[in-house]
Amino acid sequence: MPSLRELQRGFAARMLDTASVATDAIAIYRNAVLANYRNALAATFPVTRALTGAPFFAAAADAFALAQPSASGDLNSYGAEFPAFLAADPPARELPYVADVARLEWAVDDAYRAADGGGDVERTLAALATVAADELASLRLALDPSCRLLRSPYPLLRIWQVHQPGDTADPHVAFDTGADYLLVRRADGAIVIERLPAGDHAWLSALRDGADLAQALDAALAVDAAFDLAAAMRTHFGSGTLTGIGVA
Amino acid sequence: MTAVHPRPGATAALPVAAGIGLRAPHLRHVLAQRPRIAWFEIHSENYFAAGGTVLATLDRIRADYALSLHGVGMSLGSTDPLDRVHLEKLKRLADRVQPAAVSEHLCWSSVDGRHYNELLPLPYTDESLAHVCARVSAVQDHLGRELLVENLSCYHAYAESTIAECDFVATVAARTGCRLLVDVNNIYVNARNQGIDPHAYLAAIPPAAVAEIHLAGHDDSGPIVIDTHGAPVAAAVWALYGDAIARFGRVPTLIEWDTDIPAFAVLEREAAIAQSMLDHHDAIVA
Repeated sequence: MPSLRELQRGFAARMLDTASVATDAIAIYRNAVLANYRNALAATFPVTRALTGAPFFAAAADAFALAQPSASGDLNSYGAEFPAFLAADPPARELPYVADVARLEWAVDDAYRAADGGGDVERTLAALATVAADELASLRLALDPSCRLLRSPYPLLRIWQVHQPGDTADPHVAFDTGADYLLVRRADGAIVIERLPAGDHAWLSALRDGADLAQALDAALAVDAAFDLAAAMRTHFGSGTLTGIGVA
Repeated sequence: MTAVHPRPGATAALPVAAGIGLRAPHLRHVLAQRPRIAWFEIHSENYFAAGGTVLATLDRIRADYALSLHGVGMSLGSTDPLDRVHLEKLKRLADRVQPAAVSEHLCWSSVDGRHYNELLPLPYTDESLAHVCARVSAVQDHLGRELLVENLSCYHAYAESTIAECDFVATVAARTGCRLLVDVNNIYVNARNQGIDPHAYLAAIPPAAVAEIHLAGHDDSGPIVIDTHGAPVAAAVWALYGDAIARFGRVPTLIEWDTDIPAFAVLEREAAIAQSMLDHHDAIVA
């Protein structure tokens, strides 16, 4: 008699073997599994679905589900790799901005579920004033855990906004407005999406990746020679994007 | 009126009354109106977020209602190692909201590291029984509390099975000390699809092990009955529920509705039917 493990492997193989026409009960499970994934992706990527149309989206969701195994028993964490899948998917490449829109939607979903920050800006700024001058360059700044940074050659934020429920703006989106440098974060429980100057975006991205203040300044100046460090500190501590300091 | 029911203590059992499965479309209504419902059940994984408004919302619900955590992703019967990250998230949630009950399904959902995010049926053999019992015990040990285990609706009967499902379920409870969440609709669906006697099924379940009952709607329009959780409870399932509480006594009973979710008032009407049957049962035994 086959072992329990052999039975589970056999069941799984038959369930996802789309080459065979399962006429037995296992087809019910195949349909249920694919429908679960389709529904989960539709809930996380509604704008992507609106842009591609429901039939295209459903086909892409099925192809993704078969190509990329789910790694978690929590369906809420499913879909992190869907934007990259769309970027590499030949049919989706005909709408090149779709994968970037999907990246934005994942960032929104991810930020929504991120840990609470709980930084105390007043205390952080007071601590900052006591840092010795020779230690400033090696200072590291912490971003709120909900912060997600992304950039795109397309007007992502505008595309996203005109597809929000209740939006009454002109749905026409001009594509010649330049690249979007976006910060997605949670503020007072709600998702905020900000369009940043390129220098601020490079600076925050470097800080997020663990760069110290000197390295992050170099990254910012590389994209914007006029980057103003003091102004960026004021802006991003003031908004709650930056929440703490540490010396490496 | 706000808090209808006093906040039960950490170890309080579920209220012996009808409750409702609380889903996202109704959160706003429940927060604003504080409807008179004895208890709510949520899907544990929907509150695994590390932070944010989802958890804050649940705290507000919990302040006024008894709560049951119902997991859909633990993969209790999988032959993969127990997912300790998943289990720890469940424990963190349980520690936070101090639920009156924590339940999981008697099923598997993953193998070789790949999750299928669906409640897949187990073969009922001595090997699977021993395996599931060890897993239930491990989960109870980690959570530091009793687990409720739910019988599954299933569409595939393994030729390898050597134990009747009802005996398998009862033995899991007897061996592990877990208690049972008896889904009456699932028993009905399996009875119809597999030609088993639902009353013999109920008779095999020891009443003392039953801690909760689930009721839901199914789709009977095709060649087999499908457990959709997307319709009112069928008349035949209400009848079987009557038989269940005649055997098990008054048991906390949940109305589940997960697809084509209707207005909250529809769920309240279903819960009122269950409540009146629980009340009527009182009258019989009084």
